[in-house]
Amino acid sequence: MPTNPTDIFNSEAFLVTLKAAVLLILIFYAIFSLIIIRQVNLMSKTLITAISPTLKILTLIHAFFTIVLIVVAWGIL
Amino acid sequence: MFPAYVENPNNCRFEGQDEGEKVLLLLRAHPITNLAWIIPAILLSFAPFSIPGILKFLNLDISSIPQSFEIVFLIINYLLVGVIVFEGFLNWYFNVYIVTDKNIIDVDFHSILFKNIDTAPLRNIEDTSASMGGLLSSIFEYGNVIVQTAGTSENIKLESVPKPHIVADFILDHTHKIHTKGGINANQPH
Repeated sequence: MPTNPTDIFNSEAFLVTLKAAVLLILIFYAIFSLIIIRQVNLMSKTLITAISPTLKILTLIHAFFTIVLIVVAWGIL
Repeated sequence: MFPAYVENPNNCRFEGQDEGEKVLLLLRAHPITNLAWIIPAILLSFAPFSIPGILKFLNLDISSIPQSFEIVFLIINYLLVGVIVFEGFLNWYFNVYIVTDKNIIDVDFHSILFKNIDTAPLRNIEDTSASMGGLLSSIFEYGNVIVQTAGTSENIKLESVPKPHIVADFILDHTHKIHTKGGINANQPH
């Protein structure tokens, strides 16, 4: 019997899988944001310029935002 | 704001810089080379606007998916745009070539956590050559400079730097100065 794709989108299992996938992506993204902090530290140590402190602060804000996003996504999805 | 060719830069130091070693020239790839990540970032930032059209074309109705998912997908999309922009900028800004009064240094960050620093003393430099090829290179005046070093050490290639002929001449002039100074010092009685 052919299945209508709209039925799949309506199913509870689909939404749960989608939520798990989104959270997994966000967790990987948060890990990536922590790696970016390390990367910027490494780069700033190699080439010391006036904008290095600003870049470090940006990476910290970014990492904080990604962690908050995981919590928010967990709550609203 | 972020120049690619700076003679005698202020507030710029690098890892391993000796005391009294002066940075004469700081080079990055020409800013136009950043189009390689700017264009994908712009396209990706417009992607959410094209999705309803694509879904309509595929005859898919996703109206049953809660709006909270749409918001989260939108945020993930713009986070990706942010990462492309930030990583692109970092790679451009920190991949530099530095000419000091002693050495020429090539700082490369190949991937996210891998760096490679090539250093060649100016006294070992034998020759430099500059090349420009392609439409964009000709319009924006950028190209490659190859610095040939003596012995078995690898040549240093300065890729897509602005004013390649001036850079090649600059490096060679300072190499000649060092050789002349060395020659004079060698001939002086102790």
